[in-house]
This record gives sequence, C-alpha cells and structure tokens, in this order.
Amino acid sequence: MAPQFMVSHNLEALLERLRQYAEVHGPVRGDDGVVRFSALTPGILPDLSAIRTLLPPKKYLLHPQEIILSYTEKDGYQAPSEGARPLILFGLHSCDLAGINYLDQIFLGDDPDPLYAARRSAQTLIGVSCIPDEFCSCHLARSPLKPLSDLFFHHVEGGFAVTSSSPRGEELLEDVKDILEEREVNIPEDARRFFGQVASMRVRPELDAALPEWQELADCCLGCGACSLCCPTCYCFDVLEFSGLDGRSAERVRRWDNCLFKSHAQVAGGMSFRKDRAERFRYRYCHKYRGFGPLQGIPSCVGCGRCRVVCPAGLDLRPLAERLEAACRE
Amino acid sequence: MNSTIPVPAVVSKIRQVTADTSLLTLRTNLDHPVASSFLPGQFLQLSLPGAGEIPLSYCGSPSSEGDIELCIRHVGHVTTPLKAIVPGEAVGVRGPYGRGFPMPTYTGQDLLLIAGGLGMAPLRSLLLALLKQRKFLGRLTLLYGAREIESLLFLDELLKLQRDGVMQLQVAADHPGHGLNALPGCRIALLPALLDGLDIDPGQTCAALCGPPVVYPLLVSGLQLLGVADNRIHLSMERRMKCGVGRCGHCAVGTRLCCVDGPVFSYAELAGLEGALV
Repeated sequence: MAPQFMVSHNLEALLERLRQYAEVHGPVRGDDGVVRFSALTPGILPDLSAIRTLLPPKKYLLHPQEIILSYTEKDGYQAPSEGARPLILFGLHSCDLAGINYLDQIFLGDDPDPLYAARRSAQTLIGVSCIPDEFCSCHLARSPLKPLSDLFFHHVEGGFAVTSSSPRGEELLEDVKDILEEREVNIPEDARRFFGQVASMRVRPELDAALPEWQELADCCLGCGACSLCCPTCYCFDVLEFSGLDGRSAERVRRWDNCLFKSHAQVAGGMSFRKDRAERFRYRYCHKYRGFGPLQGIPSCVGCGRCRVVCPAGLDLRPLAERLEAACRE
Repeated sequence: MNSTIPVPAVVSKIRQVTADTSLLTLRTNLDHPVASSFLPGQFLQLSLPGAGEIPLSYCGSPSSEGDIELCIRHVGHVTTPLKAIVPGEAVGVRGPYGRGFPMPTYTGQDLLLIAGGLGMAPLRSLLLALLKQRKFLGRLTLLYGAREIESLLFLDELLKLQRDGVMQLQVAADHPGHGLNALPGCRIALLPALLDGLDIDPGQTCAALCGPPVVYPLLVSGLQLLGVADNRIHLSMERRMKCGVGRCGHCAVGTRLCCVDGPVFSYAELAGLEGALV
C-alpha cells in the first residue's frame, strides 16, 4: 500500500480519533523537563522531537511491581482476574519497538506469560522516526530484532509519511483516512536503522575475563543499577510473597530486579556466583551484546542510549563493545 | 494449562531424617504431572502461602498415586516456617521443571553417584530409578559425604543396599561430630578424598554429582584424574530459580539457564563457562 501523508497540524485530530478506540500514551515532557511515556489526554501533545523517554515502554508490559498470584484459604493460588485495557502507544522509536520484539520472544511463545500476553495483545504500537544523537548506537550495529509496529510515522517535509504493517494498522488507517492524503513521498531510507538485519557472526569465543577494561569499568561503576532499570530489554524480576494480616491470605508479587545487585546471583547459604562487580558487569555485557539462554547469539542492546544518559558515573560500553564484537564479525 | 499457578498438595507424612532435615510426603491430585511424570534431577516449585516459593529437587520416584517426596532442611525463609506444618495441611506445587539426569545413556554403564550433604536428596531419586533397572547396569557405587555422621541422610536405606550387595557405599564426614554414632568404615575426610585411588573403569563409568557448589571443582578434577571424560560427568547445579520457566533471569549458569537448560549439566557443557562453577 502506498504511504499516506499526514500534515503536521493534523496530529491533534489524529490523537482525538485514536482516543475513541483506547487510551493513548506517548512521550510527554513534564514540567521537570523529564520526558516520560504518559497519557495523551485532550490538550496534551506528545513531544515527538524528544530522542528518548526516561523509562522505556516495557513499563506497560511488565509493571515495576505487580501481583502475579493471590492466595486465599478457600481458593488457593489464583491468577489476577483483571483484564488488560486496550492501549495505544504513540511515538515509539525503532529502538523501543525492537525492545518490545525482544521481550515478546521471552514472554510469549509456547507457554506465554499470562499477564504479559494479555497486555501485549491489547496494545497497538505506533512508531515515529527519529534522528540518533550522540548517546544512540542503533545506527552503529546490525540487530536481528525487528521494530514491529502497527503503524509507523516517518518524519518528512511538512508532516509524516504513514505506513501500516499489520491488520490492526490497516484498520486504523482506514478509519482515519479523512485526515490523511495520498501523496508520493520519499521515505528517508535510514528510518529503521539496522534492525531486522541478521548480523553474520562467527562463533563467539567466551569473554576474556582477564581484559583490564572490566575492572576499570567496574571500579567506576556505582552498582546503582540505573542502566538496567531504564533498559528496554532488561526484564529480570524478583518474586516476593506478602502475607495478609489475617494470616490466611497472601499476595505474590514480581518486581523488576537488577543483575548489578549482589543479591541477584546468590544461592543458599549466602554463596554467590558473581561475587565481585567486574563479574556482574561482564554478565550484563554478555546479555546486552551476546544474549543468553534461549536467545543466545541475539544481542539485546537496541542502542537507545538510555543507560549512557542515566549512568551517574558516565560509563559507556560502546567502545569496548565495538572492539570485542567487531572481532567476531566477518 | 497455566504452568505457573501452584496446585494444592496435602502433607500426608513427615519423617524426621536428621535434627534439621525432614522428608515430606505430599499428595496431589492423581495424574498431575508434578507427581507422576518427572525425571530424577528435575525440580518443582514449592509454595508455602504467606512465606513464598522455593525450587526443590524431587527426592523420590514418580508416583501414579499422586505422591511426592521432598527432603527439606529447615534453614530458609520458606523451609523454616515449613517446620511447623503438620499432616493434613496444604502447600502448593508446580512442575516438573528442567532437565534431569540422562537416564537412557546409563544403560550398560557403571554408575558412580557422588553426593555432598543435602545433595543426597536428588541422588536418592536417581538411585531409586537406577535400582528399578539394576540388572541393566554395571557397578553401582555411591560416595557420600556430609559435615558430620549425624547429618548423613537416609543412612538406613543406604546401608541396607550395601548389605544386600546391590550397591557399594563409601561414606565420609568432615569431622566426627559428637562421636555418639560411630559408623564403621566412615572416613573423617572431605568428600573429594573418597575419589583417591578409587577403583573404576573410566571408559565404562558415568558419574552423577550433587553437592554444595564449593565441592564441584574438586570432584570434577578428581574424576578427571581418574580418567573420566567430561561428557560422562553430570552435575546438578544449585541456583535460585524464582520462576522456573526461563524468565526471571536469576539462575544463569554462564550463558545458560539452570531452570530450562539444567539443573543437570554435563561437565562438557560447563567447562570454560564463566560463573558456572564457583
């Protein structure tokens, strides 16, 4: 289907139409100057010039803390009955879309996570093109992750070229066609960066623990875990149980966890498999640039740059990654 | 079926095994896979409402009656309150999860089981399965070490198997303890010492290990010295699996996940993986 064109000043009208289907959320710059994904209620326009939000859209799929099971004596453990509300996410950049694609591979599949699956299927994803800044690395390396969206808005002269890539996108496009116009537009080629391209990799050797860079980075790292919190593909969670005051009910909660914390690899007796910070740092690197478990060989870094922006010590893994990963490429 | 919701299991029997460890028998619905179809070395997740959930290795045999045997040392945030449970009360279970010991490859082989402390629990499950196919196996040897003689688990069962000539048993204790329960033949030594000069045919022997993480490097190098190949050494790994289905990220063994790729790994899979052993 030929791209449709929407003039910039129709944005508000578009959002108004989208709100008839579902709550619409997008990047909003707060009074504190921080850009967050939040509700685009009437009168609130998304900041489409913002390069990145503080937290990625994973917060809509995996809540920072959420009840996964409730226990009562009568019914035993039960999954939460709350159904997922329809939600339209507007203004997602390719990196965030690729991040969602990564999370899908972990939480959907043969035995999908019920909470994630319900929310994901209730979501409509609308992407917007962007221009990388000095913190981004989406334009530096190929990634097999796909920036899948229902609709994608490419910035072009005077407005947006709109393309759909799902039945839901087609449907939406059809319903808002009166505020779009058919026009021949040139979509700039780099809009999706290097996503969806399989990088040809040789078998990667184990990371060399003796490299002095690990210790140098670890010596500066404060272990605060901010990089994981704001990473679109960090999904580790801890599971906790809270007993009700009546002693007869309980709630089981999962909440975002962090591999930079000492407790992450602890086992019985206080023994830990990643005792020092350099080991934990290397572990995180391994997940971000090489992937592991069922997604071994698929780097999970989508190049959004959030970890570099938020790191209080100003750490940047890119130079090390460029050197180590370039050696694996053909 | 949602594999992450625990099903109720009623405590049917509690047997005190040592001062701090007991053997719990749970009864679930008949035909639930959590009780009826697991392999030795696999694990389940046990929930105690209000206290939380922990991964535990199976200690008994699969049961078509819906029974599950679990060996529990009462030291943790779930296992300590579990000490107060009485028959008739319910807990929650889900599973089985993970990859167990490679039973089919054991046919026709000599088996060397090495258990350290509470590691005897999953190896009891393996031992029971091996006894069922004893005539298809060569020599069956168990090396078992614990802190002191008093904390050796299932000693009566094991000594009987030795007396019946079904299995060779060698036992070690780190220190003599109170010395009240002298055990003939028990060496006062660390578990890996039992490997010194052990008479095995390395090309014919499969080793199955379960013990505290700290003991694995010594056991593996001891077995290698005896000539056992890395792919004939299987270890049950200790990690804190929180979800059991490969998502929470807590149980990485190097770049693999203990809950789905393990907990039983061959040493050939682990050699060179950072953070796999201690």
